Amino acid sequence: MAEEIPRAPEFAGFFAGLGRRKLAFPCCRGCGRFHWYPLKHCPHCQGGDIAWQEVAGPGDLYSWTVVRYAFDPGFAQRPPYIVALVAFAEAPGVRLVSNLIEVEDQELQIGLALEPVFPGDDQVLFRPANNRVENPS
Amino acid sequence: MNAPLAIVGVGETPPARRSESDLRGLVLEAVSAALDDAGLAPHDVDGLISESGIMPQTVPHQWLAAQLGVDLGFHATTSLGGAGTVSAPLLAGAALAAGLAHVVVCYFGVDWGSQAGAYAFHDVYPAKRAFEKPYGFTGQPTYFALWAQRYRHLYGLAEDDLALIALAQRQNARRNGRAQAREPMTLEDYLASRPIADPLRAADCCLLSDGAGAYVMTSTERAGDCAKAPVQVLGTGFASPGISGDDVFTQLPEPLEIPGAAAAAKQAFQRAGIGPEDVDFAEIYDCFTISALLQIEDLGFCAKGEAAAFIRDRGITSDGGLPVNTHGGLLSYSYCVGIEHVVEAVRQLRGEAGAQVSEAKIGLVGALASPDYGVMVLGN
Repeated sequence: MAEEIPRAPEFAGFFAGLGRRKLAFPCCRGCGRFHWYPLKHCPHCQGGDIAWQEVAGPGDLYSWTVVRYAFDPGFAQRPPYIVALVAFAEAPGVRLVSNLIEVEDQELQIGLALEPVFPGDDQVLFRPANNRVENPS
Repeated sequence: MNAPLAIVGVGETPPARRSESDLRGLVLEAVSAALDDAGLAPHDVDGLISESGIMPQTVPHQWLAAQLGVDLGFHATTSLGGAGTVSAPLLAGAALAAGLAHVVVCYFGVDWGSQAGAYAFHDVYPAKRAFEKPYGFTGQPTYFALWAQRYRHLYGLAEDDLALIALAQRQNARRNGRAQAREPMTLEDYLASRPIADPLRAADCCLLSDGAGAYVMTSTERAGDCAKAPVQVLGTGFASPGISGDDVFTQLPEPLEIPGAAAAAKQAFQRAGIGPEDVDFAEIYDCFTISALLQIEDLGFCAKGEAAAFIRDRGITSDGGLPVNTHGGLLSYSYCVGIEHVVEAVRQLRGEAGAQVSEAKIGLVGALASPDYGVMVLGN
């Protein structure tokens, strides 16, 4: 069982989004700007009316690292794995930490288009957007 | 209004991965050594300063005061880690000017060489725990690896650019003679060192150490009565940009600067009445090669994106154009989170350093505890 991770109340909208297999980020209804990580008020205008705006389109790779050492005992069996920082054209100012799957190290480059994969209701991973398998119909 | 301030004593424990002493024992040894170095007795001390993140829980000011048998007129904490240690003269100068204290000791120690703790430190940030740790984005090398990769994209970074820093500092450490890592390092050794988080290798990462350091501050007037020639604090700067510890490694705006470094350096230089071109050597918080590289730019020694060329052209060993981390730094001397940088800068300005910079008149110490940054400009 993974350790219980405490979550601040203002984090809830993101995990509610994952439950719907969607990515949602905090966006101020007052000034229309996104922020990340979630705060109690909009850091741009101090507005308190925060909406959770869903992002439909792909993200792109802002930076990444292949982690080859287990810093946490809980990850002892994981290396090597890819940590990605993913940006979204639809949500300027948001960069999401995740892991990449279905990709070779040599394919990695900044700007790579990525699509989310939801392996459960509490997690999001990403893979190259062009890996999508189209169902012939 | 801050009082003119001097550093009159420095002390440290011998650089080591593991020590026989516990953390409080290490701090006491370093503080006692600093007072001896100053020619002062414990009863002369009436002020203590430390950073606020680690010392209050491990070596509280009141415990140290009790151990030294002194009554304090003033004690305070500021910022985190190295940024707090390096910006402590701002508080000491204010305390002296207000008459709250006359002799102020700043100290720091860590037992991360023998006790776990370094990697779990960022668990204090709720968003990092909730949004990053589940994906294995934990451990400081992973954060700086993302920056290194992004830097490579924005400005270019050859495989041996980061090696320049690791190799130069190892050379300094070997000349120093006291350093924790003293075996020679060639480019082949660097390239063969264990990959940690691409593009960072073990040779790009700081050591882990058990150790402590301390420095003693007093007014320039009283400094004349101390055992050794005083080192003047010409200017100190501190900045804490409005980005949280949760956000700082992933949400930084471009052009990829170490937060607060440029602002803190500008303050320190203005107060000292000098510029980066006047600096004879710099002790820069090199938790990783990439962080030292970024700070060489952000502190004003060269333009953004040009640090690797600057290092190649001018050199950063103790006989280079801008000697950097003349003791070997956190990469090769010890990882006491920046206090060893202050100790080394004072030794350089006294002509006592192992890898002595010739005619060292002005030294800069810069340290991050992102998003905070502290800069101290010292002169003899």
